Amino acid sequence: MGRSYFVDEAVEEYLVGIQTAPGSCVTGLLAGQSSPQRDFVVLAVQTPHRESEGQPKASRGVSPLDDIDVEWVTEHAKQVSRMLPGGLSILGLFLVTPPELSKDAQNALKRLIFAMDKYITKGRLWELSEEDVTDQVTLHICSKTKKTVCKTFDVKDPKSSAKPADWKYQTGVSSSWPMLSCSVEVDVQIPMTGSSSDITDKCMKDGLRRWAKQIEAACCLINGRHALDDSELVSGQVKTSFCHSSVILILHLKLDERSSALVQLCSGSVKVRGVVHCRAYIHNNKPKARHAAQAIKRDIINTVCSRVEMFLEDLLINEGSHKGTVVHHVLRVLLEGIVHPKMKNLS
Amino acid sequence: MLQCDFIFRLKGILEFACQLDNPNGVQSQSTISKSFQDLRSKVTSKNIVFTVCNSPVLIWPNTGFQSSVESLTEASACGDILQWIESDDGGSKKSSKKKDKKKSGPTVVNMKLLFEVTEPAGNTAPSLIRVSTQQHCVKMPLPLDCALSVTTDERLETVCTGLVEALNKQLADMEEVVLQYRKGSSFLVPQPFHFQLPEPAGLITVVYPAGVPDSQLQAVREDLHRKFELPCDRPYLRRANAFHFPDAAYKDGYLRNPHIHLNPPNIEDAKLYLVQGVYSYHHYMQDHVDDNGWGCAYRSLQTICSWFQQQGYVETAVPTHTQIQQALVDVGDKEPRFVGSRQWIGSIEVQAVLNQLLGVTSKIMFVSQGSELATKGRELANHFQTEGTPVMIGGGVLAHTILGVVWSENTGQIRFLILDPHYTGGEDLQTITDKGWCGWKGPEFWDQNAYYNLCLPQRPKTI
Repeated sequence: MGRSYFVDEAVEEYLVGIQTAPGSCVTGLLAGQSSPQRDFVVLAVQTPHRESEGQPKASRGVSPLDDIDVEWVTEHAKQVSRMLPGGLSILGLFLVTPPELSKDAQNALKRLIFAMDKYITKGRLWELSEEDVTDQVTLHICSKTKKTVCKTFDVKDPKSSAKPADWKYQTGVSSSWPMLSCSVEVDVQIPMTGSSSDITDKCMKDGLRRWAKQIEAACCLINGRHALDDSELVSGQVKTSFCHSSVILILHLKLDERSSALVQLCSGSVKVRGVVHCRAYIHNNKPKARHAAQAIKRDIINTVCSRVEMFLEDLLINEGSHKGTVVHHVLRVLLEGIVHPKMKNLS
Repeated sequence: MLQCDFIFRLKGILEFACQLDNPNGVQSQSTISKSFQDLRSKVTSKNIVFTVCNSPVLIWPNTGFQSSVESLTEASACGDILQWIESDDGGSKKSSKKKDKKKSGPTVVNMKLLFEVTEPAGNTAPSLIRVSTQQHCVKMPLPLDCALSVTTDERLETVCTGLVEALNKQLADMEEVVLQYRKGSSFLVPQPFHFQLPEPAGLITVVYPAGVPDSQLQAVREDLHRKFELPCDRPYLRRANAFHFPDAAYKDGYLRNPHIHLNPPNIEDAKLYLVQGVYSYHHYMQDHVDDNGWGCAYRSLQTICSWFQQQGYVETAVPTHTQIQQALVDVGDKEPRFVGSRQWIGSIEVQAVLNQLLGVTSKIMFVSQGSELATKGRELANHFQTEGTPVMIGGGVLAHTILGVVWSENTGQIRFLILDPHYTGGEDLQTITDKGWCGWKGPEFWDQNAYYNLCLPQRPKTI
């Protein structure tokens, strides 16, 4: 009754090829897409080595498992999830250990998976729906035998225990995924009712949430057809290496019909303006139009949300140098891609 | 009445937003106007989308007319749109409306204003602009509501262009109202109201500021009465006079004008004289008040009050039995213990209450025996022609409401349109018309020997 993970053979190659220093552990991420019936894993990427500043940390615990830098693993997961195109998300973690540590691996994985989910989903602007899968997968690999043990945890339930799951390698899991793309004009105006960072954070979050709700409620047309129901995503063409669907998003101008104006004395305001280009992929196993619509909408929201986060981090670093004036920030620095080479199939 | 076949009604809420550094400064007016200018650009941009409610139809009116449905093009007649609209599941109310083929007014096509975000005008990368000066942030919903009356063969494209123009004009009207009624940082929401005026004006829209009562908008109405050449002695443009769209239900649940579903009797050489405007049918047992056997005159009075409210003469709600009784105590006509009793009232009391609660004067007509009512054709015809108000008639042991007469000046033949307050059932139009609770009666309907008093309410001369 457990979940079934269909894994691209490129991932198998990657996992098999991981080098570990004797006695040490390697962590990494697994990414892909979940659907109610099955899950598709198309990417694996190892946690990069952390450049430590100053003295190397002395071993704290009894085993290398205790030395796993949870903060670094989750930070890496967050950066990767920001860069994944729509439709793809982090599905879980893998952990490579020497045989003597195998029996404690499950506990380590459980700690990591809950910490990671918590960190990634913090500040997310959209709510999970009933259909969303909340299981994350943990894959343990023995560095000597290369044997894998696959289990899932329901990350919405802190008390959940590990459930067995199927891990099947297949060819072509990541090929022929329909892609949806669109460019979205964003124009959000957020008043700041105070200047303390708590208040500005809350204002930003409320303002962006309002906007995100509009996007979620928007009418979505895929290839000219309403993407409302359980009908299959129609590409209109014979399947090629990937098929490209166009998306039109139309907002309902639904505001509260108050009969009064809201006037607030604000210490300032924040405007987010510009055009974001968004993409979403949907798995190739009879995808439904409304899931495709949901994937692209979430990508739009995530894209804007992470851009704003980066702007605000930037602001925080440069704080103090621009008071009382209009400050215009453009994102100049792009993160380096930590993308598996095989991902190029999808991009 | 309307000659047109369709009313296209487009609604949508645009958010007005602006930041004022100093709400009392000279700059603020131009800042507000700039925000309105931006909204006007928005509705003339190619990103505006109209959707037809209860249908998959989407129309881009500003991109050389594109629609989401292939068979609907700019050349399509606007009536073609009907085949795409899914009608609501019929409850019993709806199906009775459909059976009523006599009074099929224009069909209302409801549309909503939407905005596409996926065809951006530019391609600028996202940026974040932070302003750190103290400002007054103003946010206000603008409840846009435009209506266009058209005939069935009008092109759909013309309808859409007309609606875009109407949106533009409405935004301009709203800007005027917002600027006129603004005090510093206090803003009033501009609200559109539709009015059906006599031809050639037809269906017009006026924007009024929310919260300003009709009594303070007299000068605005005087201007409009002049502009549209409306008579200066009766209201056309009070909020209560707003056009009631045929597809809208009345939220209070009372039936309106049940008499329109009846065919007047066919009397040779006779003319029809009817109540003007809209009234609600009040009768026994409504509002959880069991007044069976004693409340008939009270209900007739309520029907009359509902007429004055809906024609815009008063803003007060229709009075309850208790309020009616209290009014009679207040004018000294009854002792305090009258309140809460089940005592009957007559035409004189009705006249007194109309004066006390509504400021309305009434004429009393006395008839010494019921048989004489047949001779009052001229008076009643004149009343319905000039005043057009419902008439309360009390006599014998009963009270009724007269809504009109069919009367021949030559032969003297007469029939009376009666609304009977003694009905104890629910608001079922079929029963009420079939069983004659609202119906045409002959002179034999009256008790031939009893004497009757009629209360004929007079319209106040006001706009």
